[in-house]
Amino acid sequence: MFGYAGKILFVDLTNGAIKKEETQKYVAEFLGGRGIATKIAYDMIPPEVNALDPENALIFMTGPMTGAAPSSSRIDVVSLSPVTNMLGGSSAGGDFGTFLKFSGYDGIVIYGKSKEKVYLKICENDITFEDASKIWNKDVFESVDYMKEAGREMVEVATIGKAGANLVKTSGISFSKRSLASRGGLGAVMGSKNLKGLVVSGCKGIKVRNKDVLNKTNYEILRKLVESPSYEKYKTWHAKITPSLLKARRPYFGDYEEEYWEDAEEAARNAKDFFEKKVKIKSNSCFSCPLRCWAWIEYNGEEAPMVACQGTFSAITFILKIKEPELAWKIYLKMQREGLDIMSTVAVIAYASRLGKVKLGSEEILDFIDKIVNRVGEGNIFAEGIKKAAEYYGVPAVYVKGGMESWSSDIRPFRGISLAAAVTESGSISRAVHGFPESSYYTKPEKAKKVAKKIAGREDVAEPTIYEEKHKLVAHFENEHIIADSLGICDTPLLSVPEELWLKAFAAITGLNYSTEDLHYYAEKIRTLERLFNVRRGLNAKNDTLSERLFQSRFRSGPWKGVGIDREKFEELKKKYYELRGWDENGIPKKETLKKYGLEVE
Amino acid sequence: MPYLIVHEDKCVGCHTCEMVCSLSHEGVINLNLSRIHVVGYKGEKFPIMCLQCEDAPCELVCPMEAIYKEGDIRYVDGEKCIRCKMCSLVCPIGGVIYDAINHKMLRCDLCGGDPQCAKYCPMDAIEVVEEVPERRKKGVRVLYGEED
Repeated sequence: MFGYAGKILFVDLTNGAIKKEETQKYVAEFLGGRGIATKIAYDMIPPEVNALDPENALIFMTGPMTGAAPSSSRIDVVSLSPVTNMLGGSSAGGDFGTFLKFSGYDGIVIYGKSKEKVYLKICENDITFEDASKIWNKDVFESVDYMKEAGREMVEVATIGKAGANLVKTSGISFSKRSLASRGGLGAVMGSKNLKGLVVSGCKGIKVRNKDVLNKTNYEILRKLVESPSYEKYKTWHAKITPSLLKARRPYFGDYEEEYWEDAEEAARNAKDFFEKKVKIKSNSCFSCPLRCWAWIEYNGEEAPMVACQGTFSAITFILKIKEPELAWKIYLKMQREGLDIMSTVAVIAYASRLGKVKLGSEEILDFIDKIVNRVGEGNIFAEGIKKAAEYYGVPAVYVKGGMESWSSDIRPFRGISLAAAVTESGSISRAVHGFPESSYYTKPEKAKKVAKKIAGREDVAEPTIYEEKHKLVAHFENEHIIADSLGICDTPLLSVPEELWLKAFAAITGLNYSTEDLHYYAEKIRTLERLFNVRRGLNAKNDTLSERLFQSRFRSGPWKGVGIDREKFEELKKKYYELRGWDENGIPKKETLKKYGLEVE
Repeated sequence: MPYLIVHEDKCVGCHTCEMVCSLSHEGVINLNLSRIHVVGYKGEKFPIMCLQCEDAPCELVCPMEAIYKEGDIRYVDGEKCIRCKMCSLVCPIGGVIYDAINHKMLRCDLCGGDPQCAKYCPMDAIEVVEEVPERRKKGVRVLYGEED
C-alpha cells in the first residue's frame, strides 16, 4: 500500500487486548481519515450507548496524504460526543498524525475503560500501557513534558488536561501543547476511559507510489501557497486576526448580546498592539506546512504556543469583553493548560455572566475557569455545557445543534452558517464551513463573490443575510471539509490551491487516480453515513435546529442592526438542503440515496 | 562547489527539507532517513546537515578510510565501510546518520550540486552559495591559530 501506513490499531482498554486491522479493508469505500473513522464509529458504537460509557469508541485517524504533501498534518478524531450525544468529531494539525504513520498506523481506535489511569505508548510493535496516576491531575503542558521525557525517541504526544480528566464537557484533546481537537467534548470521552494520553514514535517511513512526480507536484503546491497574496499576511496573523474578524463583522459579544460592544474597536486595536509590540513572537508551522498559523509567544515570563487560525484569542477578547490583551493572554494560557475547547468555554462563561455568576472583562474569569475545571460549586453545573446549565437555571441560552456551544463567530446574520450549525452532524460549524464565503464577504468581497458564483451560480449570494442558494454553498463546503479531513490535508490550503494539483499529489502518493467528482462522491457518501449514525440514534429533522433564543434575537445596534433569523426562511432552506443531499422531508436519507452510495442498511 | 547556509531565524520547523531529502534520496518519507535534521527547542528551530568541514573529523577517524572526497563533497564508500559508526559519533553537529533500515551511513551529498532542501524550503531558510563564505574561512583560520 502506498501513502497509507497500512494498519489500524484497536485497543480495548478494559482487558488490554490489542489487535491490528488492515487499512486496505476500508480504503476503497471510505477513503481515509474522517471517512474511515466515521465507518468504524458506525460499526462499533451501538445506538443505545451514551458518550461516556465504556462502549463508546474514540477513533483517531490520519489520511493517505498525512505527512506526504504540503500542509498535510491533519489527524481526525471521531467519537460519540458527550456534549450532544450525537456523532462528534474534531480534527487537529501539528506533528502527531505524521508520527503516528511513522509508527506504522493510519489510526488508533480506543474502546472500553481502563481500571487504572493509564497512558498508551506506541512505538511500532511495542505497545505498552503506562501508569498515568502521577500526571492524571496535571495540566496539558506538564503532562506533555512528562510523557515526552518518558519516550527515548523523538515522540509526539496527545493528551487531556485536567478538564478532560474531570469529564468537563467543553474539554478537548491536545496534540502537544497547542493543536487541539477541541470541539464536541472529546477530552471527556478520553477521560471517561481513564486514558490520559497517547505517545507515538517510530522509524517507519511513508511509502509513495511515484517519488519523482510527488516531489515535482509538492513543489508546485508549495509555490502556489507561498506565492498567494495572503501568504505574507500569515506572518503577522496573530496581530491582524482580531481586527480582521471585527472588520468581517463576525464576532459576537458577551452572551450573544443584541447590542454592539462599543469598546470592540479599542479591544481589537489593543490586541493588535499586544502581538506587534509587547510579546516576543516566533512563527512556527505544523508538519509540512509553510503557513505559520502558530507561533511561540513569550510574555511576562510566561510562554506558550498559540494557534491563530481559529481565532481563539479573538474569541476571548470579544466574547469575554476584554479590553486588556494581557488579561486575554492569561485566560488563553489557562484554558490551553487545562485542555479546554476555548470556543465553547467562553460561550459558557458568557452565559454564566448573564446569570451574574461572573463578571466579563475581569480577572474573576480566571477563578471561574478553575471552578468549571475542578467542578467546584456551581462550576459543576457549567462543566456540563451550556445546554444543561440553561436547563438547570431555566434561563434560555444560545447553542446550536444538539446543545453544542456556538463557534467563535456570531451565526445570526450568516444564513449559510446558521444552516450548517443546524444540520451538520457534530454541531461543529468549524468542521463544516470554515473558510466560507460569507465569512470573508466584508474583508475579501471579490474572492467571496467568485466562490459563490462558482458554486451556486450567483455572485450576490456571498452576502451573509441572503437566504437563497445557501444550501448549495453549505453542501459544497461540507464536502470540501470532509475531503480535507479524509485525505489529511488542512482545509485552508486545500481551498487555496487548485484541486487538480492535490489530485496529482494524491495519485503520486497512493497510485489511485481520482477526479474531483470522485472525491465529491466520497464526501457525499461519508456525509450520508454521518447522517445515518445519528438517524439510528433516533434523530431527525426536528433535531436540526438552533436554540430558541437565536430565532428571537434581533440586533439593536452595530453593523447588523435589525437583523435576526427568520424561522420560516430557515426551515425552507433546510428543506432545500435535504433535497440536495437526497434526504426526505424528515431529514432521513432516501432509499435511492443509500443505494447510490452503496450504504444500504438492513 | 555549492555551500549551504542556514538562516535559522527564518525556519518555522515544518520539516519540508527532511521530507524532500528522504524522498529524493531514499524514495520514502522518513525523518530518520533524512540527511538534514530540524532541531529546535520551543519556538526556535533550524535545520542542520553536514557542513563539509575543512579538516573533517569523520574522515580522520574512519578506520577503513571509507570516506573520500570527490570535488569538494565527501562520500562514504559502502564497500569499504564496516558500519562502526565512528564518523557519526565524532561529528560535532550530527552530520552523519546511521540508516538502521538499510544499514548504511547517510550524509549530505549536496544532491550532486542541486540541493533539494534549499529548493523546497518555503521559508528560504536554506541558501545555496557557490563559494564557502569568507566569514567561515576566517573562522577556520582563527581556529587553527593562523589569525586572531
